[in-house]
Amino acid sequence: MEDTTIMKDFREVKAGKTGFKKDYITIMLWFVGRAIQAAAAMDETVKKEFAELPDRFTFSLGIMPAGPYMIVGKSKRGIVYYLGWDPEGKDIMLEMKIKNIEAAMLLFTFQESTAVAIARDRLIVDGEVPHACAVIRILDIVEVYLLPKFIAKLAVKRYPAEHHGNKFSRRVMFYIRTVLGV
Amino acid sequence: MFLPEHYEFSCPVKINSGNRALEHLPFELDTLNARKPLIITGKNAAGRGLVDIAIDAFKDSGITIGIFDGVPSSPDLKLIRELYTIYRDRGYDAIIALGGGPVTDAAKVLNIVVSGEPEDLEKGAGHNMIKKPLKPFVMIPTLAGSGYETSRYAFFEGRTYSSHYLMPHLVVIDPRMTTAEDAMTTAGASLITLTHSVEAYVSPEKNPLADSYAFPAIRFVMEHLVNVIRNPRDSNGCLALANAHCFAGCAFSGTAWGIAHTLGKAIGEACNISPGVCMGIILPHGIEMQHSRGGRHISDLLLPLAGSDMYAETAEDLRAQKAIDILLDFQKDLFTISGGVIARTLEGAKVPKEMARDIAKKSVGYGSEIVGMDDFLKIWEHAWEGS
Repeated sequence: MEDTTIMKDFREVKAGKTGFKKDYITIMLWFVGRAIQAAAAMDETVKKEFAELPDRFTFSLGIMPAGPYMIVGKSKRGIVYYLGWDPEGKDIMLEMKIKNIEAAMLLFTFQESTAVAIARDRLIVDGEVPHACAVIRILDIVEVYLLPKFIAKLAVKRYPAEHHGNKFSRRVMFYIRTVLGV
Repeated sequence: MFLPEHYEFSCPVKINSGNRALEHLPFELDTLNARKPLIITGKNAAGRGLVDIAIDAFKDSGITIGIFDGVPSSPDLKLIRELYTIYRDRGYDAIIALGGGPVTDAAKVLNIVVSGEPEDLEKGAGHNMIKKPLKPFVMIPTLAGSGYETSRYAFFEGRTYSSHYLMPHLVVIDPRMTTAEDAMTTAGASLITLTHSVEAYVSPEKNPLADSYAFPAIRFVMEHLVNVIRNPRDSNGCLALANAHCFAGCAFSGTAWGIAHTLGKAIGEACNISPGVCMGIILPHGIEMQHSRGGRHISDLLLPLAGSDMYAETAEDLRAQKAIDILLDFQKDLFTISGGVIARTLEGAKVPKEMARDIAKKSVGYGSEIVGMDDFLKIWEHAWEGS
């Protein structure tokens, strides 16, 4: 039986919910997922990276403990698709999870690059580490396409000197493909 | 590099330090197989909003958190019994101590009890008397610590508990929690840190792993304490000091108690003044005594105290004296920038001179084998006068 003399200094609380941060990350993951699909169709380096991954390779990137997620997979014919936000029922070979929403915010507001976030142990990887390295290299290229140079330089390990993403016309095409999902 | 003939070192502490470190707590608790933590803290931390920051770190985890924010400056057995009842009846499975000193001591003692039976508290007192691992224990330090938070020691109702099982499984050092409150509190904990790490570095039980914790602890205190006292808003400096406190607890747990620790702790307790300030006053004189008695490694101390440039430009036979001079100068700097609040002599700290023999009697025998009763009295005399 609990003694009441110290109960005035005791309370129990249920952990709260994050509001707009989760919404922001959900949108970012949707956009990045579709951008990977677009990059896999347009960019030779990304094509090569996916070609070296196993057939029907599917990976997810999500936030612990309960999402949001993005799932990207490669078909038997080697075509890369954004497979939505729900990992349920999908045969995922590589799960990459950011440990918490604040770590995801640091990453998706480009205060930390992907490489720095990994170095600071903010992600866990369930799957083959070489596959995770390939995904991170793909994410770096996608960020070069998506972001203006001064932001992309914060987000990627090393900004490429020459890259297709630097050309305005290709970048416009990339955005159109990302938004339309083609 | 020095390799002792024999040594023991155990440090189970994982350290998570830096920006948004607190937000890793739900993940880390999960790895410790804990789902329902009890945070215990004092009124000061609660009043400064630190508990709310800690609770916010659990967002989206779905975890239920217990909070007890009434740990007094001298927690007693009645409090531990009541916390034991709350912990057991409400199904908690981990303890998070937020704060330092009495909060950590209460958390460590509570962990002994909740990991076994209330009777274990008596059996567990002493050195290595806790025989099995305890429940998950997380420490969130502030700068208002006692310097023992990460260590294997707990001090409770006149008893000393010493076991590596008492060390936290995880220490989360987040800059939102490590803001400096006042010069005396920050200096007290940091001077205990400096004493523990310096004495670990020159201890007869010196070993390479204790050195690896002691070295950065000494560097951080030497680089940042004066700046933080001058500018308590120096968040990088505060974070470095909190890291130093943590490292020194690990180093201190892997070596024997030194002269300055033993004497400073005894004086602080007998005279009810900051043990850290007493240790800081005694430290240079204790090291000087060790040097005069042929103590080894004193010259090596110059490297963490002053950095590589000064170490390289000082002749080998002058390094030990230079290290002692730097410790004396550091005391003078603290005295000056604190406007005399941080005393640099035992006389200035208002320690009665006639207590010397009584305190020496209680202190000789611990730690270093080099120093006897006469040596203690000589150190006292030098520290009292600042000579």
